[in-house]
Amino acid sequence: MVLQRNNVNVFGNGVRTMMFAHGFGCDQHMWDPVARNFADDFRVVLFDQVGSGRSDLTSYDSAKYSTLDGYADDIVEIGEALGLTDAVFVGHSVSAMIGALATRKAPGLFSDLVMVGPSPRYIDDEGYVGGFSRAQIDELLDFLADNHLGWSAAMAPAIMGNADRPELGEALTNSFCNTDPDIAREFARVTFLSDNRADLPGITARTLILQCREDIIAPPCVGEYVHAQVPNSRFVLLDATGHCPNLSAPDEVTAAIRAFV
Amino acid sequence: MKSPQQSAPLSESVPTEDLADLYENAPCGYLSLSPHGRIVKVNTTLANWLDTPAERLLNRTIHELLSVGGRIAYETHLAPLLRMQGFVFEIALDLVQRDGRKVPVLANATERRDDSGHHIFTRLTLFKAVDRRTYERSLLEARIRAETVAKAEQETAALREQFIAVLGHDLRNPLAALAAGVRMLTEREALSERGIRVAKEMGSTVARASALVDNLLDFARGRLGEGLTLSRESEVPIEPILEQVVAEIQAVHPERAIITEFAIEGPIACDPARIGQLAANLLSNAVTHGAADAPIRVQAFTKDAHFVFSVANGGDPIPLAARERLFQPFARGDVRKSQNGLGLGLFIVSEIARAHGGTVGVKSSDEETRFTFTMPLEHE
Repeated sequence: MVLQRNNVNVFGNGVRTMMFAHGFGCDQHMWDPVARNFADDFRVVLFDQVGSGRSDLTSYDSAKYSTLDGYADDIVEIGEALGLTDAVFVGHSVSAMIGALATRKAPGLFSDLVMVGPSPRYIDDEGYVGGFSRAQIDELLDFLADNHLGWSAAMAPAIMGNADRPELGEALTNSFCNTDPDIAREFARVTFLSDNRADLPGITARTLILQCREDIIAPPCVGEYVHAQVPNSRFVLLDATGHCPNLSAPDEVTAAIRAFV
Repeated sequence: MKSPQQSAPLSESVPTEDLADLYENAPCGYLSLSPHGRIVKVNTTLANWLDTPAERLLNRTIHELLSVGGRIAYETHLAPLLRMQGFVFEIALDLVQRDGRKVPVLANATERRDDSGHHIFTRLTLFKAVDRRTYERSLLEARIRAETVAKAEQETAALREQFIAVLGHDLRNPLAALAAGVRMLTEREALSERGIRVAKEMGSTVARASALVDNLLDFARGRLGEGLTLSRESEVPIEPILEQVVAEIQAVHPERAIITEFAIEGPIACDPARIGQLAANLLSNAVTHGAADAPIRVQAFTKDAHFVFSVANGGDPIPLAARERLFQPFARGDVRKSQNGLGLGLFIVSEIARAHGGTVGVKSSDEETRFTFTMPLEHE
């Protein structure tokens, strides 16, 4: 059930497991260019957060997913369903924080945590630069209201549960990133309004922080803040720009993860 | 001289399109970005929209042209989509002019890659969409308003049904007291002949009021999502129950002829109280709506693994238009003047039938109007 709910895909030949989590915006395809590089010596796990990609939208529950804990609980459930021990968790953007919460909830599942473009809080606070104001986040919510990225209620049945019929998916423009607009708004809200700064010092997993240059979502000062707060952490500044080095510089990201594990 | 009919080529020559001018002054904005999202080329049209000379836009990032919401969305949605599928069409963005004013546009974007698949440029075509976006926003607002209204109506309806449930429940006690009082009067007090008649009429009126309240409560429960609950018993001798229902109705309406015909084999798995309620509803329906001079025929039998119960009365047939809505709650009135009740009786009948895995139907002609309840003997 859990594996269907989160559209979990497992492949690769390793003993140790590496699990990749996509952030706000698109789905597990974000990790394809990196994940495939680990298939020879890791068991690779990809999944969609509930509400994104081809997850089971009927499992979406506004109350559960109104905090990142709801998403972290899912990671723990997937980890337990797959019988993971001492696996590597690689999370992009908000899923870096979700993964951090999951390692705290179930310490045995993941021994290593890779945070790509993490931010514990996006909105500026006293003595803290997150990069955004509340009004700017509201602007993002407006953008989402104006852009359904190919989503329409009529298409929903085709998007959901047709993983075995890819020709249906291919017909859908923007199918990697289309989401029910209501869910997208709620995911944006929980992503950009969360404050998980207090959770950082309690992270016990070995942690790698991958930071891009010119990342407007998670600027370098935020990555440095995370590095300072997470006890057992390493910080690597990538040459890549933007917020999605897993897509724009997959080789660099692969090399950094390899050097860490 | 050629005649006009021969459609001579116009004397003016067709101008050659000036491609450089087409780029610069096209009726849309052109923008080319480096793989790192920096502006490498922009046309005059777009520069004018942004109220900034083209050369001052070069080497700036796309983010600087976008509102903050657009920037986040660009990084979280558009850039990944461009990488994964190579294009993104029909994205609504707000460009920001030098003075902070916004220009709503629709954007298409594609990635230009070289032969080895290397990303060279991201190209964007932008169309001003002021009116369209205003229109879309007003549609969206209308939808949100409609949803708000619908939600409020649902809440009102739920509240109303809760009110019905509470009211029905509260009415039961005074009715029970009234029934007990009437019973005491008729059984223990020495009344005049007239007094006895009045007390009996009061008794039947109270009984009818109680039945209406029961229907009301069942309706409200059904609407409140609890559905009709059955306390099913495996072996119910059903004939005595039906006989009792007939006797009760007959007692209240001694002037009406009720002919029964029962051929029931063995006990039946059902909720006896509910089946009694179903029979009473159908029978009082026949008494109320049937012709007074025609007998009411009550049939009950088992056949082909089914239990069948039907009640027929004479009188005018039910018009076709009314038949369709007969089993809906509050279906009464506009076609045939209802003399009695809220129009919940048949709705409750159909709910009881459904809960038993059965059906209820009606046939109505000049000869008779017959309601038939059928349920399978084997419950799945």
